[in-house]
Amino acid sequence: MANLTIDGKEYEFPDGTSLFEACREARGEALPHFCYHPDLSVAGVCRLCQVEVEGMPKLTIACNTTVREGMVVHTRSEKVKRASQQILEMHLINHPVDCPICDQAGECGLQDQYMEYGLYESNVTQATKVLKTKAKVIGPQVILDQERCVLCSRCVRFCNEVTGTGELGIFNRGDRALIDVAPGVELDNNYSLNTVDICPVGALTSRDFRFVKRVWMLKSADGVCPGCATGCNVRIDHEGGRVYRLKPRRNPEVNGSWMCDRGRMTYKALHDERRLTEPRRGDQEARWAELQDELATALDKGALGLVVVSPHQTLEEMYLAVRLAGSPGKVVSGPADAGMREGDSLLLDADRTPNRAGLGVVGISELAGKDLAAAVAGARGTVLVLGGDPAADAAVAAALRQHGRVIYLGTHGNETAGCSSLVLPGAAWAEKQGIFVNRQGRWQAFQQAIARPGNAREDWRILAEAVGRQDEEAALGSLKSVRAALAAAVLADPSIDLNKLPEHGFAPGGEN
Amino acid sequence: MSGKQYNILSSRFGRADGHKLAVYEREGGYQALRRVLGGMQPAEVREMVKESGLRGRGGAGFPTGVKWGFVPQGAEEVYFFVNADESEPGTFKDRLCLDYDPHQTIEGTIISSFAVGARLAFIYIRGEFGWLIDRVQAAVDEAYAAGYLGKNILGSGFDLEMLVHKGAGAYICGEETGLINSVEGKKGQPNIKPPFPAVAGFLQKPTIVNNVESVASVPWIITSGPAAYKAIGTEKSSGTKLFSVSGPVKRPGVYEVPLGIPFREFFHDYLGGMVEGEELKAVIVGGSSVPVLPAAEIMNCNLDYESLAQAGTMLGSGGMIIIPESSDMVELIQVLMHFYFDESCGQCTPCREGTGWLHKIVKKLRQGAGTPEDLDLLEHVCQGMAGLTICPLSDAAVMPMRSFLAKFRPEFEALIQETAPVGPQSRWPRGEQE
Repeated sequence: MANLTIDGKEYEFPDGTSLFEACREARGEALPHFCYHPDLSVAGVCRLCQVEVEGMPKLTIACNTTVREGMVVHTRSEKVKRASQQILEMHLINHPVDCPICDQAGECGLQDQYMEYGLYESNVTQATKVLKTKAKVIGPQVILDQERCVLCSRCVRFCNEVTGTGELGIFNRGDRALIDVAPGVELDNNYSLNTVDICPVGALTSRDFRFVKRVWMLKSADGVCPGCATGCNVRIDHEGGRVYRLKPRRNPEVNGSWMCDRGRMTYKALHDERRLTEPRRGDQEARWAELQDELATALDKGALGLVVVSPHQTLEEMYLAVRLAGSPGKVVSGPADAGMREGDSLLLDADRTPNRAGLGVVGISELAGKDLAAAVAGARGTVLVLGGDPAADAAVAAALRQHGRVIYLGTHGNETAGCSSLVLPGAAWAEKQGIFVNRQGRWQAFQQAIARPGNAREDWRILAEAVGRQDEEAALGSLKSVRAALAAAVLADPSIDLNKLPEHGFAPGGEN
Repeated sequence: MSGKQYNILSSRFGRADGHKLAVYEREGGYQALRRVLGGMQPAEVREMVKESGLRGRGGAGFPTGVKWGFVPQGAEEVYFFVNADESEPGTFKDRLCLDYDPHQTIEGTIISSFAVGARLAFIYIRGEFGWLIDRVQAAVDEAYAAGYLGKNILGSGFDLEMLVHKGAGAYICGEETGLINSVEGKKGQPNIKPPFPAVAGFLQKPTIVNNVESVASVPWIITSGPAAYKAIGTEKSSGTKLFSVSGPVKRPGVYEVPLGIPFREFFHDYLGGMVEGEELKAVIVGGSSVPVLPAAEIMNCNLDYESLAQAGTMLGSGGMIIIPESSDMVELIQVLMHFYFDESCGQCTPCREGTGWLHKIVKKLRQGAGTPEDLDLLEHVCQGMAGLTICPLSDAAVMPMRSFLAKFRPEFEALIQETAPVGPQSRWPRGEQE
């Protein structure tokens, strides 16, 4: 451990801690910076995080310094303030200041830091600025505006160090230096949009999000990406019932600061035209009120033949499915290979479902397609399909059609919905709270971001009501109570409050 | 009359056959190497160079023996680089060393490599010195053939390979980490320090980079002893130094003089004073990156590290630029500001943007659109560049800019006054208005 003084107060940090991070903690906010990033190598080029270390002849950059015993550091002295103001001015002299048409406006390092550390009168006229290329398409997802770039090199380092694909480079030198792709090369990898996230200015923008929404109008919720078993932590940016983008939320245990481009696009399915918004019996739209009795009868313990649960459902829903089925033989998942594709060594898992590990937690076994078809064929009574699209498997589809009494609680008008006599609109991942268990066995809770479309309902509520009809003692009227029951059923330590999972997720039996 | 020439470094300068191995050997060449490999320990060699007080001749003046001592004890893989990327405006001494006497540098390199434990040495030659590359390569080939390079040199068990590497034409590759990066095939730009190259340089292994002149001084130090070297020059600036002198003096050229020689003596006795009809106005004493001194100030200086530091400038590379009264200081600074603007690698923001900005303002003054505020703006931009970057290029632009302004401000003011528009103040030349 090293004891040091930052801005007059004493702190203790483990040896090897970056002075930048120490200052962040001491100040309650980061030092001004563009190039520093906790998950990338130190470049030390923006020169903004200058601090005064007593005994050193010049100011020094905090990002390339580690804490030392007895260090006395000043981050708010006049010398430091003047340096950051002047360096910020350098960053801006050739910047086009085209904020009114820039997507980054509102979450821009230049804007924010000018307000915090700049506030000087400009010495520059537009006519003397160095001109570079604007709005250059450099890949399927990303557009580059070289004039806005502050050459922090984060994007270059990302492509070199994280993906190892090296598409981006800094070409030319002096104030003619610019970020670009080499001729014939595209920024085309499944992680390319991370460069947009880490770009502190509007130089790299997302083609998907470009000119779609002003960022200050967005509200955010903490989510977990439903795109694969990795469970990258995401921020769901939404407004007026629509999700506009997903951004990675840093979780060093799971995804670092990154997520894949494929995962980012999962939000689009939320607003797909195939979304189920109303209950439907056969070809007819129905109202929930009319279905109460029918559901009560069909989902009664005696009438329920089989529950087929998708690994897309939340852990709470899986648990309720087990409760509803009553006996372990009556609840299955499948086909077992559904959602299995090719993964990569970075974040994208071969399993494109978010909660397959959750099935194991509550004791639901997976069946291969033909076994699932056989189970459906042999089911005496109602078959309840909970999410997913098992009927994408032809044998399962045939068995469901043959069976006739199939209820589908799901989000999209897919094959399975077509095979079902009763279709109920459920809530998609951004429209409900829940827990996914990722491939590491880490339990991660996510918040609801937007309202459900039409008359769609939360799946857990429908299931909990059905359980309640059979078991008056169940007392599952709230998600909180469902979680308490879940914890009691599956955790060694049932006192763990699933409503307050640790920030980086919870690994039962593990380190947390 | 002319001053005494020392010849530790320059005895073969100007001689048509000086570059030949036979000539070098006949005049005592490779005797120092024989002595070193005949039983000296690397630590002894390091100690001798340290004792000699030899300071890096590339410009920074850091003690060479001390730098060698930064290589971690017991390092297995060490590299040695000779920096012949001589690009500092006004400097043209290393090229003479290599052109007329390549074997002295090669011998110095072998001894230095032995001292730091390197088994591979590079001579990194500025790309524009096309003919020098052939000259040095031929000398290296001769040294291999004579058994001074390769396996088991002179039967000592010491192995050393030597490669001649051609730079691609960037000033910044003379900065040691920029040089290393460019040899690694990366963009030629300096690395953030720490780590220093002596700890993690070429291929992340301990690496020593020394200037040609420093390395070329080593054989003499071995042969004549550190005390003899230290006896030349001043207490803190020992030995001789090559000065490359340009400008309208009677005898411009490269001179080897003992450090500490009064400028006045050097100017009159060696350079022969100004050519007819010219008066001395100012001197840039150590390459374009050091502060300029007006005639009256330089005349009282001695040419050594301490005296020049005291006078507010630096000995630097010894690239001495003599400026006559007839020169326009604003025009001169425009040339220099264009150089740094063109050569900034662009990674650190203050340098990338500042060098361009300084150049623009000076250009504007010269275009006749300057205002008195521009002089304050120049100072303001300098302040945002000084001491804030990875390498010294930013400071190298600031030092001439600031000193030109400080010492010759009336010339800037006169230009602004002469070209002041009669009508409403115009901030920028016509056609560049907002």
